[in-house]
Amino acid sequence: MVSKTVVIKNEQGLHMRPAGVLAKEAAKYKSNISLVFNGKKINAKSVMNIIAGCMKCGSQIEVECDGADEQEACESIAVLIESGLGE
Amino acid sequence: MYKGIGGSSGYGIGKIVIIKNDMPVYEIKSPENKENEIKRFLQAVDKFIEKTTKMAEHMRKTAGEKNAEIIEGHIIMLSDPFMQDEIKDKINSGMCAEEAVDKVCEQFIEMFTMTDDELTVQRAADIKDIRLRLLKILTGDRDIDISEVPKGSIIVAKDLTPSMTAGIVKENVEGIITQAGGFTSHSAILARALEIPGVFSVDDITDNARDGMEAVIDGKEGCVILNPSKEEITEYTAKKEKYLKDKEELNKYRNKATKTADSIEIELFGNIGKPEDAKNVKDNDGEGIGLFRTEFLFMENTQIPSEEEQFEAYKKTAVMMDGKEVIIRTLDVGGDKNIPYLGMEKEDNPFLGFRAVRYCLDRKEMYKIQLRALIRASVFGKIKIMIPLVTCVNELREVKVLVEDIKADLDRENIPYDKNISVGVMIETPAASEIADLLAKEADFFSIGTNDLTQYTMAVDRGNSKVAYLYSVYNPAVIRSIKRIISAAANENIIAGMCGEAAADPLLTPLLISFGLKEFSVNASSILRTRAQIAKWTKAEADKVADEVMKCATQEEVYEILKRYQR
Repeated sequence: MVSKTVVIKNEQGLHMRPAGVLAKEAAKYKSNISLVFNGKKINAKSVMNIIAGCMKCGSQIEVECDGADEQEACESIAVLIESGLGE
Repeated sequence: MYKGIGGSSGYGIGKIVIIKNDMPVYEIKSPENKENEIKRFLQAVDKFIEKTTKMAEHMRKTAGEKNAEIIEGHIIMLSDPFMQDEIKDKINSGMCAEEAVDKVCEQFIEMFTMTDDELTVQRAADIKDIRLRLLKILTGDRDIDISEVPKGSIIVAKDLTPSMTAGIVKENVEGIITQAGGFTSHSAILARALEIPGVFSVDDITDNARDGMEAVIDGKEGCVILNPSKEEITEYTAKKEKYLKDKEELNKYRNKATKTADSIEIELFGNIGKPEDAKNVKDNDGEGIGLFRTEFLFMENTQIPSEEEQFEAYKKTAVMMDGKEVIIRTLDVGGDKNIPYLGMEKEDNPFLGFRAVRYCLDRKEMYKIQLRALIRASVFGKIKIMIPLVTCVNELREVKVLVEDIKADLDRENIPYDKNISVGVMIETPAASEIADLLAKEADFFSIGTNDLTQYTMAVDRGNSKVAYLYSVYNPAVIRSIKRIISAAANENIIAGMCGEAAADPLLTPLLISFGLKEFSVNASSILRTRAQIAKWTKAEADKVADEVMKCATQEEVYEILKRYQR
């Protein structure tokens, strides 16, 4: 398993659109991908769970990837979050 | 008469159409073939996506990108593989597709509602909408479609979901009334985007209104009248016609320069409280920001916001205004604005006490963070610094020393900024007015804050009803003070603006033109109206009004003359 800490850049947090972008990217990988925030583990492939996670602008979260392509998955998800998820 | 929240301005007169949006009834039974049942669910999802895509396309054309995105969000949500798996699991455990969809949606609605986070709780309404429509597809019920309501309809509903409003034909809808939802509800946002009058949060309206009933709606005041009398219909028909005529009239001033009838150019800015408001100013054709109150940055926080946080907010505003002027007022804390974590002591006379620039100059380390953030942001647009509550020249000098120190620091650190950044003074105390000539020699600009200026000049607490009658900008004392401030600025060739409520008062427009006010800063919604007012006067005509007003001895006389000449 690999992990990386990132900070949410989106002004309104991970609401619908950025959550959708994130889930779509996560779905490309075979690994299990979770976002750890406030002690909770959130399935990064589920847009509903991401929205329910209420991750706000400035929140620090841990991207955790476990599986065959974990290295690559972790890198790309972390970069995507740091870049503001297309916003 | 029924009262609610006026969420979309305008008047509507028409016949009630009640939109029921009840959940379809389905039979709870175990499917005979689970695989087929899952297939049935997946087909419903495909159908949902197909219909929703069409709705979004229609919406994009009629109500704009933002509303289309809300509808498209429903596709994103329902496409969630995790959610679909949960539904499939439930079907595999013996539930029919309807029950499985209902149960899983309920689960997410609860989960979202429990977060207590406004944005997330709002998403629960989207899941309710998804559930309803998916169940309708599964049970074969017809979708509710507001697009078919006849011309002259006033729509009444418990709440309007995004999908219900997607097909709305605005020419046919006189108004929207809902029982739930407030100013920021989806229904209200949509009503404003479509410019349909709307009243929201009207208690029991779905029980009290009947299909076909006549009704009148006032979206500004938030009133609904069911079965209006003849007189009421005449009254509101007149109001509606005037409203539409005014609106059309004002639209003529869109994308036009602000100038008097004899072509004296004037700057017309907007007042804002947070960076996002700048968009509203731009949408209303504002030519800059005349007052950015920075208190929000401090109030929304639980500690003093960092330089970076402040920098981002100022930068964002500057970028959004695209090189147009942005006048940012430094922290105006104290008086009636308390920020708990600053630990300010309770005072007997907070308005005469430790507030605004007095407080900031005492806490220089904190103040420097704000000034540094402002100066750094200046490279992204045209930012000007405004100091509130100045009463003596020393305060201006002290702030200017801080600004120079920060500039020197930034030079050393090779951080870019606008070297010509202006430092101006908000004139809102009798002291500043008295020494306006002295301040004008050292300040880069003036902005008159008429609310505090009136309160301090008249020595009146506007919250005290026994003396509130004195709180009027029409008092000769206040009028003379404004005139003196503007003349003092003109003598030193600096710009005098006004960011208080008086700038938007149509009665005062000729007076301010005559005095030589160069910049009016008003609320976004008053921008076009103010431009129209300014265009009605020539300098000579305005001078005539001013001559008469300056001879008046009482506020009543001033008011009477201004009222008589009002255009």
